[in-house]
Amino acid sequence: MEFVLSEEQTDLRDAVIRFARQEIDHDLSKHDSDGTFPFESWHKCADMQIMALLLPEEYGGCGSDFLTTVVVMQALGYSCSDAGLVHALATQILCGLQIHQFGTPEQKQRYLPALCRGEKIFAQAITEPGAGSDAIGAMRTRAEKTEDGYVLNGSKMFISNGPIADVVIVFALTDPDGSRLGGVSCFIVEKENPGLERCRSIEKMGLCTLQNGEMVLDNCHVPDSALLGRKGQGAIIFNESMEWERSLLPAAHLGTLERVLETSVAYAKKRSSFGRTIGKHQSVANKIVDMKVAFELGRLILYKAATLKTQGKRAAMEASIAKLYISEGLKKTCLDAVQVHGGYGFAKEYEIERDLRDSVAATIYSGTSEMQQAIISRLMGL
Amino acid sequence: MGSIDNIRHFIAAEICGGNCDPIGDTDLLIDQGIIDSMGIIVLLEFLEEKFDVTIEGDELLPENFATLTAISTLVDNKSGIGKEG
Repeated sequence: MEFVLSEEQTDLRDAVIRFARQEIDHDLSKHDSDGTFPFESWHKCADMQIMALLLPEEYGGCGSDFLTTVVVMQALGYSCSDAGLVHALATQILCGLQIHQFGTPEQKQRYLPALCRGEKIFAQAITEPGAGSDAIGAMRTRAEKTEDGYVLNGSKMFISNGPIADVVIVFALTDPDGSRLGGVSCFIVEKENPGLERCRSIEKMGLCTLQNGEMVLDNCHVPDSALLGRKGQGAIIFNESMEWERSLLPAAHLGTLERVLETSVAYAKKRSSFGRTIGKHQSVANKIVDMKVAFELGRLILYKAATLKTQGKRAAMEASIAKLYISEGLKKTCLDAVQVHGGYGFAKEYEIERDLRDSVAATIYSGTSEMQQAIISRLMGL
Repeated sequence: MGSIDNIRHFIAAEICGGNCDPIGDTDLLIDQGIIDSMGIIVLLEFLEEKFDVTIEGDELLPENFATLTAISTLVDNKSGIGKEG
């Protein structure tokens, strides 16, 4: 069992940390309060080839493995305070994976180079106004077959990158009366496609730079060539995607957790009360110890999941545990960090307050904590 | 126990929790709701571990999991049993 990253991986991690600290310099407070997306930083990340990591060189990618990509996402979560931007990047990477694994050669050639360069922003549309945790089972969006393609009707909700997306991977029912496992299909829909309406971004308590919105499909006609994978393969593509997503997003969360931990340690060593630094008070130290435990154990399960995926193996259990443990650990860490920092932690001029708001979403998107528990229990045979 | 009976036993015991009628070789597992979108995750974990195979993206098709016969054929072909037999 090897717990050491390669020299190449540590070099890349250090380079990403340097890049984020030096180059991602948008006014985050303003973007956060205005709820706007930092396009300039997005393009800098594209120049750094963050979105291209996992894809083959023939499409402009770097050909990196999954563990390396997870290490990079962790480095970004650590060094980039804009969790909304990091989430948008993870969504782009995920869409690239879906197209690469399930797309036709023509689809790969058409979409992957622009995805790698960040020229086109991608989104995946699964969740609906009435279908969240039960996204596949309660799905209502339909794709009806026509002579030369499909007509999509329905609406999607909370779509990450949706309001600014150029290309959307839409999940829809192609066999509404059959089993959901074989009745859902995926379609690649471009923003210019008549019948696709991207609605304005929804205001949220956290992740304010990430653009989440509703999408309406109103007699949206797509050609047969828009089908991603085979007809009826949508639920399986969804399951596969979730294993990747439940490693990529927790990687970013773990990086943020590490940053908040370091900030709390530094503050506890500097701030004094009752004649000694607050870290010497057991009640404060215990909170920071809990952060350290969450970081170390979270990293183990995350790297296990990522290593399994790198080896081409299944990691549903590990990815769900990573998602559950790290997202809950991040939320508790941020809450404890506010407490450790006292009034300063509650003040907007300190980043802890924003980290806490951002962390709340981590236990909701990509399957709530309760859904992760349900998946883990099913995999345990309960 | 052959692969098809191994899979039959697993689906009946672990996916149905022992609460389903005996499963025939050609019973439609997906259409009859015996395997749902979460059940397929459980089944894939079992197949890859039990038979030491990796089921690739282009094999992750509903028809490959439609019946016990289809699943065992996929597994046997991947593990070399089907080709030998």
